[in-house]
Amino acid sequence: MTVKAKKRNKVFDYFKAEDPFSGGLTLCPGCPLELLLRFTAKVLGKEIVFVGTPSCSATVLYGQNRQSWHKLAYYSCLMTGVASSATGITRYYRKIGKDITVVAFTGDGCSADIGFQPLSGAAERNENFIYITYDNEGYMNTGIQKSSTTPIGARTSTTPVGEARRGNPNPGKNVPFLMAMHKIPYAATATLSHLDDLAKKLIKAKEKKKEGLAYLHVFSPCPTGWGFESDMSIAVCRMAVQTHYFPLWEAERGRFRFTHKTTRPKPLTDFLEMVRKFNHLSTEEIALLVKEAEERYSLVEGMTQLWPMA
Amino acid sequence: MITRHKEKIRTLTGNAAAAYGAMLCRPDVIALYPITPQSEVIEQLASFSADGLLDAEMVEVEGENSAINIVTSASIAGGRVFTATSSWGLAFMYDGMLQASGFRAPVVMVNVNREMPGILAVSSGQQDMTSTRDSGWIQVVAENCQEILDLVVMAYRLAEDHDVQLPVMVNYDGFYLSYLAEGVNLPSQEEVHAFLAPLKDQPPRPVLVPGEPLGSGTHGILEGFVELRFKHSTALERSKAKFDEIDALFRESFGRSYGGQIEEYRTNDAEVVLMVSGSAAGTAKAVVDSLRNKGAKVGVVKLRMFRPFPRERIVRALTGKKAIGIVDRSVSFGWNCGPLFMELKAISEEIGTVPIMDFIDGLANTDITEDHIADMIKSVQNAAKGEPFKDVTWVSLEE
Repeated sequence: MTVKAKKRNKVFDYFKAEDPFSGGLTLCPGCPLELLLRFTAKVLGKEIVFVGTPSCSATVLYGQNRQSWHKLAYYSCLMTGVASSATGITRYYRKIGKDITVVAFTGDGCSADIGFQPLSGAAERNENFIYITYDNEGYMNTGIQKSSTTPIGARTSTTPVGEARRGNPNPGKNVPFLMAMHKIPYAATATLSHLDDLAKKLIKAKEKKKEGLAYLHVFSPCPTGWGFESDMSIAVCRMAVQTHYFPLWEAERGRFRFTHKTTRPKPLTDFLEMVRKFNHLSTEEIALLVKEAEERYSLVEGMTQLWPMA
Repeated sequence: MITRHKEKIRTLTGNAAAAYGAMLCRPDVIALYPITPQSEVIEQLASFSADGLLDAEMVEVEGENSAINIVTSASIAGGRVFTATSSWGLAFMYDGMLQASGFRAPVVMVNVNREMPGILAVSSGQQDMTSTRDSGWIQVVAENCQEILDLVVMAYRLAEDHDVQLPVMVNYDGFYLSYLAEGVNLPSQEEVHAFLAPLKDQPPRPVLVPGEPLGSGTHGILEGFVELRFKHSTALERSKAKFDEIDALFRESFGRSYGGQIEEYRTNDAEVVLMVSGSAAGTAKAVVDSLRNKGAKVGVVKLRMFRPFPRERIVRALTGKKAIGIVDRSVSFGWNCGPLFMELKAISEEIGTVPIMDFIDGLANTDITEDHIADMIKSVQNAAKGEPFKDVTWVSLEE
């Protein structure tokens, strides 16, 4: 009887690449953003230009306290100007015939709110760069305020829970779907519990950016802002996928495909129970959140049937 | 040596002159977004591109804020860039303008002067330009269509100069100049290339290099921040003499010059002087000519550079005059006067204690007529004689 050695996932190969970031970053303990940044750089290679803004990621990308930095070219701008600044750099390199991967890297506050107009503009013009949103469902760097990806009912510092108000009253904006609806060459969702899926999407984005804008929306829960232990980040990511709260899909020019199917999804309450920002929700309020999550999932599912990716 | 080219006069609007100036400087990246009265500038550039005359990346953006961010980042990547705007378009750029100057990006931008909101005014005025005076940009002002074209060319030489490395805004009056068609001497491509060629011999400016650890716009805290602010401020100071020098070099190459930071028109023996900027300077010179014919010792100082403020040249030009008038085409809220008047008052100690009078005129397309100018000069002359005078006159409200 022979024992077949378990084949190691190919995703581990990426971790052999040089890590351009210094050891020990100024992010909160357990923040999955750190993994996302290191992993993105390892998969995409050194010949990239990061474009970003004041945010959680800025504490790493801008450098802070002379200890936390990286070896990459980086262009920082204001939250209004990420997609446009990435456009300017990309266009100049195109003019001089240089093939460089420009990676805009922002939180949801930028891509969903204040930087949405230039992002939509860049998508419409089909600019040749990658835009990555790490979605932690709020303005975490400034102290956990509501953004337009904050889910319905969630507690933030600008949508507090009290006698008169019960957290965020709005369901939020489905930004990855909106980006796919721009019919850009590539739009996809990803998260840190599914690194092989993320790696494939990063590589595909690098290829697809030759045709135009490649957009990745990465679910990146915030231990500090959402209320969960620092060793639970990846578990929260996985549960978001398993409950259909954050389905993993990709779309090429508006044609959809699930990249990960959960045959028997867990109830959303399994996810909600892990996160303290939802712990005030009543049964009725949870029902609203369930409805929204189901609708979002059905929307993508419908698209995979109506406009399937070839 | 002056090598005069074969003159090629074309009838061009101010906007077309700006577009020709930009095209001749061969920018790599151009951001286009329309706003009255600037739209013709970008339409003209788009047609140059469509006709194969302009090999630039053309980005038809979704708003002015993106326009300024695109040209700034393309500049930091190493490119030569151009964009144009006006009025609230400029206001919508403001955060990006601070990025451009703080990054020391040699962006060249045309701003077609127009009134600012909230009273909607699709009409001329310099409120847009003066409202952005502390943005750290170099701001220059043209008087006519020829000067618009020439200033755009000079702006690249100034912005990209190694001792300067700052964005330059070329201003001209909306409506009065944007749509005015005049004969414009169009330089050849070779001449403009030759004029800008010395920029290539300078030490390279720092640019983004993919794969290299260079961050643009990192955290500048404490002394690091102060040092960069100081360097920015001193670069602006250096740009004054540099602008004079470039103006002289422009004469050598093209046979035209304008006086650099300011033009002194019949001021040498003048007893009173009126300071003007933009298209009204032409009217003022014409009035001065006719008054001179009647024996009046009057002159005009045309302000060509608004930021940095050419205080040394102005002090030299105005010292010894008996009284000074200033035409303000915008308002400094909170001071109840025009911004140019404020700035002149700030150097009045160096000029000497003489009456300085502010004439707020030309707001929202109220014409600065020859009669207005003649009345202003008369008031200044009366003040010079020791008669009581008003500090600030809102000219069109006096009638």
